[in-house]
Parts: sequence; C-alpha cells; structure tokens
Amino acid sequence: MRTIRLSFLHMIKFVRQDKMLFAAMIAPLLAGIAIHFAVPVAEKELIRMTGMPAILFPYYSLFDVFFASITPVMFCFIAAMVVLEEHDDHIDRYLFVTGLGRNGYFISHIVLPAIFAFFITVVLLPVFGLMSMSVAEIFFLSLAGSLQGIIIALLIVTLSSNKLEGMAVTKLASLMMLGAFVPYFVPAPLNLCVSFLPSFWMGKAMAEKEPVSMLLSVLVSMGWIFIMKKKYDRKI
Amino acid sequence: MRFKTLLLWDMKFQARYGFYLLYGFLTVFYIVLLLSLPLSWKENAAAILIYSDPAAMGLFFMGAIILLEKSQRVTSFFAVSPLRVIEYVCSKVLSLSVIGMLVATVLAVATNCRSLPLLLLGTFLSSVMFTLLGVIIATKITSLNQFILATVPIEIIAFVPAVLHLFKMTPAFLRIYPANVCMDLIAGRDFSLIGLILTMILIAVLFVVAYKCVGKMWQNQGGVKL
Repeated sequence: MRTIRLSFLHMIKFVRQDKMLFAAMIAPLLAGIAIHFAVPVAEKELIRMTGMPAILFPYYSLFDVFFASITPVMFCFIAAMVVLEEHDDHIDRYLFVTGLGRNGYFISHIVLPAIFAFFITVVLLPVFGLMSMSVAEIFFLSLAGSLQGIIIALLIVTLSSNKLEGMAVTKLASLMMLGAFVPYFVPAPLNLCVSFLPSFWMGKAMAEKEPVSMLLSVLVSMGWIFIMKKKYDRKI
Repeated sequence: MRFKTLLLWDMKFQARYGFYLLYGFLTVFYIVLLLSLPLSWKENAAAILIYSDPAAMGLFFMGAIILLEKSQRVTSFFAVSPLRVIEYVCSKVLSLSVIGMLVATVLAVATNCRSLPLLLLGTFLSSVMFTLLGVIIATKITSLNQFILATVPIEIIAFVPAVLHLFKMTPAFLRIYPANVCMDLIAGRDFSLIGLILTMILIAVLFVVAYKCVGKMWQNQGGVKL
C-alpha cells in the first residue's frame, strides 16, 4: 500500500511540474460553472430566437452525463500520458521489479486517478448539475464516468506507442463518451447498435430513468476493463 | 522539388502515425452522427464539427508532431540542410490542410451543404490559422502537457465566439472577427468582406511569427521531452 501511495505521489509531482495538475483541478470547476450558468442562458436565447417552447431543456440530463464524464476522462488522460512517457523512458520496467509490481503500478497510475475523479464528481455533480438528481443517480453517474475514464486510459496506453499516437488514440477513445447522445436522438431498437458503449447505458439510464441501464452500464464497463487490462498487461 | 519532397514526407509521417486512418474513421462516425440528428440541427452541427475538428486539427496535433521531430533530432537535420524555414512551415500547413479539406468535403457532401466552395475556403483558412498557431506554440514548449495547456486559451478564443456567432448570439460588429468569418464561410452564409481581409492579414501575421519561431527553434535546438 505504501509503495502504491508513493508511486501515486511521484506521478502527482511529475504532473505538477507542467502545471497540468492545477489545470486538472480547475477544469472541472470551470466546466461545471459553464454548464450550470451558460446552458440555461443559451436555452433562453434560443427560445427567444426560435419561438419554440424548449430546445435544450429536454437534453439537460445529457449535459449532466457529460459533466460526470469530464473529470474522470481528464484525470485518466493525464495519467495515461504519464504512463506513455514512463514507458518511452523505460522507467516503468524498473518500477515493475520493485515492491510496487505491475498491479501496483496499474493501481497507482490508472485506478487512483479514477477514484479521485469519482469523489470530485460526487461533490461537483449536485452543485453544477442541471437536473435535480437522487443520491443513487449521482453515485451511479460518478461511478460510471470513472469506469469510463479507466477504459479510455487503458485504450490510450494499449493502442499507442508514443505520445503522438497517444493524441490520435485519445481523440478516437474520447468518442466513447458520445454514446450518451444515442438514446436521446436515435429510436430503439436501432440505438442498440452502440450498446457496447458504457456511455450509451449512462445516457439511457438518465433519459429513460431506467435503473437497469445503470447496472448494465457498470457491467459493460467492467467487461471493457477486463479485456483492456489483459491487453495492457501484454503491452506493458 | 525540395518542397514537394518535404510535403510528401510530412504526409507520409502523418499517415504512419495514423492520422489518415483516424480521420477516415472519424469521418464515417461524423456522417452517422449527422444523419441521425434532426434536420433542423444538421446544418449547424456539420458546421461546428468541421470547424472544431478537421479544420482545427493543426492546433491539436502540431505540438506532438514538432515535439516528436525535436526528440528524433529531425529539426536539427533540417537546420543544416538546404531546406528553408518557409518551406518547412508551408509544408506543415498544407499537409494538415489536405486532411482537413478532404474530411470537410465528405461531410459537406453527406449533409448537402449550402456552398461547397465557400465551405472549402472557410476550412482552408481555419486550418491555416490553427496550424500556424499550433506551430508557434509548439516551438516554445518542451512537453506535450505544456502544449495542451497553452492551446486551451486559444481554443476558448477561437471556438466560443464562433459557435455563438453560428447561433446568431453575438453582436453584429463581431462579423469581422476572423473565427466568425471562417464559421460563416463553413456554414455557407453571407460573410463580411472586411472580416475576410482581416482574416488574411491575421494569417499573414501568424505566418511571419511562425517563420521567426521556427527559425529560432532550429538555431536553439536543445533537449526535449516527448
């Protein structure tokens, strides 16, 4: 446990040098403020301009799904970049033969940032969310967002061999979040085409208030993590 | 001949690191996304997608491209070769603009855009602007995290007013703002001629700054973290 903590603190120190840590801490707050205040103003303006009764309001819960995803994805993206950097510099190999081991490295570099993101999201979501949510919904969205962050970090690390490829894969991997759009815009059963994406079930859970979709989102995420962790172990 | 070789080398470099594959996949994804949106959303969504992704890819990727070149000492070799800075900058700008314009064309055709020539002009101008900004920042940083942070204010300045302008939520005088001019062109709307001239002037200024920054980078080639 001590080695995991030290490894995590070492990563924090590394990220702090580029001021990325400060950015990662401030960005969820800025995103929250932007969503909480700008979206209702934009809605009012759009209603005034178009004369329609509501434009963005039916999708307020979709904004909440995205807000729940932002912090974990950002934290896990930064962590993935550190992993790639340490892999390029062959530092990870040396860490694996210490008491930290491969699993300790994985926990300190990928899982712990996601856990931190989970707690931050649990605190910020009720403050900046556009819809009033139950405790279970807040907990579910934060958990599902954090699991999605782990999947994205694993995809970046597994599919890229340097930071340039990491940037390209990040772009691709971040599309995973867009699955949340589908239940809002694509009718069933056609929308089930993207049911392999955890974000689809997050969107469905919030759009249709279905508790089963919450469970499915977590299960699909666990499946992704299981598969990607195996690939990660082979690569690292 | 030298410029043509460099341009081809840059395009091969981008292909090798999966840019064409990535944007091939993204194009298909965006088409599916756009076709599934309600008709009233489609036009604006296409304009936002084109402006914020294929047109802005230079801003997103230039840091990683130049840092990789620095770490592989490619820029050191350029510095002692007959290659000129202007050729290097033009090659970077054109190679990324090609991808941006290809993706924009496919998306425009798939969504029946209002005017393809205007859309291509808007995409090209945005692409040049963003790539030059990317080059300027990339020459001044030593790690990718620094690049990502440095691009955030530019993204806010370039994207927020343009999206608000698309939804007609900006004052009339902001029609001459370069980002808004590019958005008008991409959306196939009437654009401000003064704004277009201002955009050209901005690009010329950015080009001069990028030229100086690259020249300085070649002279001061040092260690870098990628």
